[in-house]
Amino acid sequence: MRGLTPITRRRFGQGLGAAIALTEAAGRTRAHAGTHEVAVRIDDFTFMPSKIEILVGDSVTWENGDVAPHTATALDRTWDAGPLERGAHGRVTFTEPGEHRYLCAFHPHMQGSVLVRHRDGG
Amino acid sequence: MNTLCKSLALGMAIAVSTVAANANEPMNDLEIAHTAYTAGGLDIRYAHLALAISESDAVREFAQTMIRDHSAVNDAAVALITKLDVTPQDNALSQALVEGAAAKRAELMTLSGKAFDCAYATNELGYHQIVNKTVAESFIPAVTVEPLKNLLEEALVTFRAHEKHAEHMVAGLKCAG
Repeated sequence: MRGLTPITRRRFGQGLGAAIALTEAAGRTRAHAGTHEVAVRIDDFTFMPSKIEILVGDSVTWENGDVAPHTATALDRTWDAGPLERGAHGRVTFTEPGEHRYLCAFHPHMQGSVLVRHRDGG
Repeated sequence: MNTLCKSLALGMAIAVSTVAANANEPMNDLEIAHTAYTAGGLDIRYAHLALAISESDAVREFAQTMIRDHSAVNDAAVALITKLDVTPQDNALSQALVEGAAAKRAELMTLSGKAFDCAYATNELGYHQIVNKTVAESFIPAVTVEPLKNLLEEALVTFRAHEKHAEHMVAGLKCAG
């Protein structure tokens, strides 16, 4: 797993538009080549979508829309996108295939998962 | 529920009665803003007390969440009132909350160990239950300024999450009996 740093709205900049455009197929593995960034929105103490599928090398960006701070933290604590104050983004690039379950470390009832598939479809 | 918890629950009930009675009186936007901010600040004070006394991981994590979340909500409230260039108004309900919280803190400070943990957790559950009911049924319907209504609605989502968290904390501490 590549290191993660919360990024500001300004730094996130242009990438957000592309990320949002890619989320229309959230929950499905995209077939085309290259790495991509998928956006997960945090609203009303819920990750939306809560389950996504990506390919190895893709990134996931979480954006917090709540007034309360949140994180997106691996259950095994190997990665952590946070803390995220309202309007902030945090990004993780996934290099290991498999199901990566996560939660908000501040509000553990908030949970989600990222299913990372091999680029060959495995 | 043991005698100590019964005593604390009774104290909370009295405070709740006071809050509920006052909440039935008409309040203007500035009074509602003051009370909402005050309630958040009081819960932060409870949380600091918990961090000073409790050795329970569950209680300490909850307290840290209360400080983090209520600070964020209150910061947003300050930003809003600054933007609107208004001054929240102190009122009877805010004063009742402050007085009730002072009495409750005095009780809590005499406790330690599981007795403190259970008393704090039970108080947090009751506090969030009554605050959430008041915000949902009295404050939000009464507020006339849209940005304040929006903030209260956002805050209520947060406070309801706290109420559920408090329920789990109370259950996990196995205080009953």
